[in-house]
Amino acid sequence: MKFSSSGYLVKEGLKNIWNNRMMSLASIIVLVSCLIITGAAILLSLNVSSLISTIGDDNQINVFLDNEMSDIDSIKLGAQIEKINNVDECEFYSKDEAIKEFQSKLGNLYESMQGDENPLGNVYKVRLKDLSDYKDTIAEIKTIDGVTSVSDRAAIARTLTKLNYFVTLVGSWVVLILGVVTLFIISNTIKMTMYSRRFEISIMKSVGATNTFVRIPFIIEAMAIGLIAGILSSIVIISIYNPVRESAGNMISLIGTSTIPLEQIWGPVLLGFSGIGVLIGALGGFISITKYLRKEGGEILGW
Amino acid sequence: MIHLKNVSKVYSNGTEALKNVSLDINQGEFVFIVGPSGAGKSTFLKLLIHEEKATFGKIKVNGFDLIKMKNRKVPYLRRTMGIVFQDFRLIDKMNVYDNIAFAMRAIGAPEKTIKKRVNYVIAIVGLTGKEKCRPNELSGGEQQRVSLARALVNNPEMIIADEPTGNIDPKMSYEIMRRLVDINKKGTTVLIVTHEHDLVKEFGGRVITINGGEIEKDEKIDSKYFLDESVDSAEDSEEAEE
Repeated sequence: MKFSSSGYLVKEGLKNIWNNRMMSLASIIVLVSCLIITGAAILLSLNVSSLISTIGDDNQINVFLDNEMSDIDSIKLGAQIEKINNVDECEFYSKDEAIKEFQSKLGNLYESMQGDENPLGNVYKVRLKDLSDYKDTIAEIKTIDGVTSVSDRAAIARTLTKLNYFVTLVGSWVVLILGVVTLFIISNTIKMTMYSRRFEISIMKSVGATNTFVRIPFIIEAMAIGLIAGILSSIVIISIYNPVRESAGNMISLIGTSTIPLEQIWGPVLLGFSGIGVLIGALGGFISITKYLRKEGGEILGW
Repeated sequence: MIHLKNVSKVYSNGTEALKNVSLDINQGEFVFIVGPSGAGKSTFLKLLIHEEKATFGKIKVNGFDLIKMKNRKVPYLRRTMGIVFQDFRLIDKMNVYDNIAFAMRAIGAPEKTIKKRVNYVIAIVGLTGKEKCRPNELSGGEQQRVSLARALVNNPEMIIADEPTGNIDPKMSYEIMRRLVDINKKGTTVLIVTHEHDLVKEFGGRVITINGGEIEKDEKIDSKYFLDESVDSAEDSEEAEE
C-alpha cells in the first residue's frame, strides 16, 4: 500500500460509519454499555485493592470502651493502654464526637441518637510501634477491664481480600464475556458494512486491489467505532465515579481509609478505554473482513 | 500473453467445465470466445483472472504462472487486465469520473495521476462532458462505455469483456465493439466472450468456439475493421455520409 492512499482509506473508513449510521450507532451503544460494566468492575477491584493495602499498612487500631464507663475511668484506662510496650500513641475519641461523625457522614439515620440515646462508647485510637506484634498487642489490650472490643483491621483486610478475590473473579468473567460480546457486535457491524459494499469490493478486487487495501477502510471504521465508544464510556465513568465514590466513601471512611481519587483515575480511564475500544475495533474489523475476503470476497465474475 | 496447456477444470460437485484445453493468445490479438450457455466460457475467463484454479494443466497469463502463483500475487495479475462486465457494474452513488477513478484509487494511485488519466480515458470512450453524471442518468451504451473506461484506466495489457453487449441495444453494441477495435489497434489484447454471432461475423478477428468444455473451433475471420487504416477512413466517411 502506498502512503498516498492513506488519506483516501481513512476517509473511506469514516464515510462507512456515516453510510451505515444506524448499525454504527447500535454498536457504539452496545460497546459503551459493555465498556461501562467492564470499567465499573475494574474500578471496583482497584478500589478494593487500594483499601486492602491501606488497611494492611495501617498501624492504627480502635479500642472501644464500655459505653457505661465515665469519662474519668476512660482516661484512666487510656493511661493503662499507653503503658503497653508496643503502643506509640493513644488518642481519646469521645462517643459524642463519634456520633457527630456518624451523623455528618450518614445523615438523618443517627439524628435522634444524642446524649443518653447515644449507643456508641468512647474510643481510643491507638497507634502501634511495630505491626508484627499486632496480634499480641491486641490480646493485651483486650485484657484491660472496660475494653469491650478492639477493631481488628486484619479481619477487615481478610474480608476485603475475599471480596477482592470475588470481584476480580467475577470481574474477569464479566470482562471476558463482554469482550467476546463486543467483538461479536463490532464484527457484525463490519459485516453489515461489507454486505452493503460487497459490490464495490468485487470491483476493487477485479481491478487488482490488494486484500490489505480492501481491508483498511473497514478496520478504520471499526477502530473509529471503538474509539468513539471508548471516549463516551470514559466520560460516563468519570462523571459517575465521584458521586458513587462520595456515597461509598462515607461508609468506607468509617473504617478509617478512603478510595482512589478521581484525579488519579480519569487519565488512565480515558486512555485505557479509548485504547481498548480501538483494539477491540481493530480486531473485530480484521476478523470479519479477513473471513469475508477468504470466502465470498474473491468472486468477481460470479458475483 | 495467454498460454494454456492441457487445462482441465473440475468443480467440487463433479462438473467438468473444461477438458484438456490448450491454446495460445498473443499480444495484440482481437479474440472472440463463443459457445452456447454452459459450454465453459465463464470458467475459461475465471481461470484467466484467477477467480478459479485449474484442476490440471498449465496456465500462463501476462507473464504470471497461474499454477505456481501465490494468492498475494493475484492483484498484480489483475492489474495487467481490464474487465468489462455485461451488467456494467457501475457504482450508483458515484458519478462517471469517480466510477472510473475508483479503479485507480483501488490500486493506490496518487490523485494527480488519477485526474490526468481519468480525463484521458473519458475522452477515449467519448464521454467528455458527462463526468458529473450518475450512471442512472446515462443510456445503456454510455454506461458500458464508462465500464470500458474503467477497464482501460489502469492501462492494462489485455481487456477481457464478458458479454459486453448483452444488455444494450444493437446500435450501442456496434458502438462498443468499435471502441474495442480501436483499443485493440493501439496494441491492447482484447478478449470478448459473446454469443452474438452477428457481431462476431461483423467484426471478425480470431474466433474460438468452446463447446462441452472443449475447443471446438479456432478460426480467423477477416473483416474490414482489421484490414488497414484505409478501411477506417472509408468507414468514417460512410458514417459521415449517414
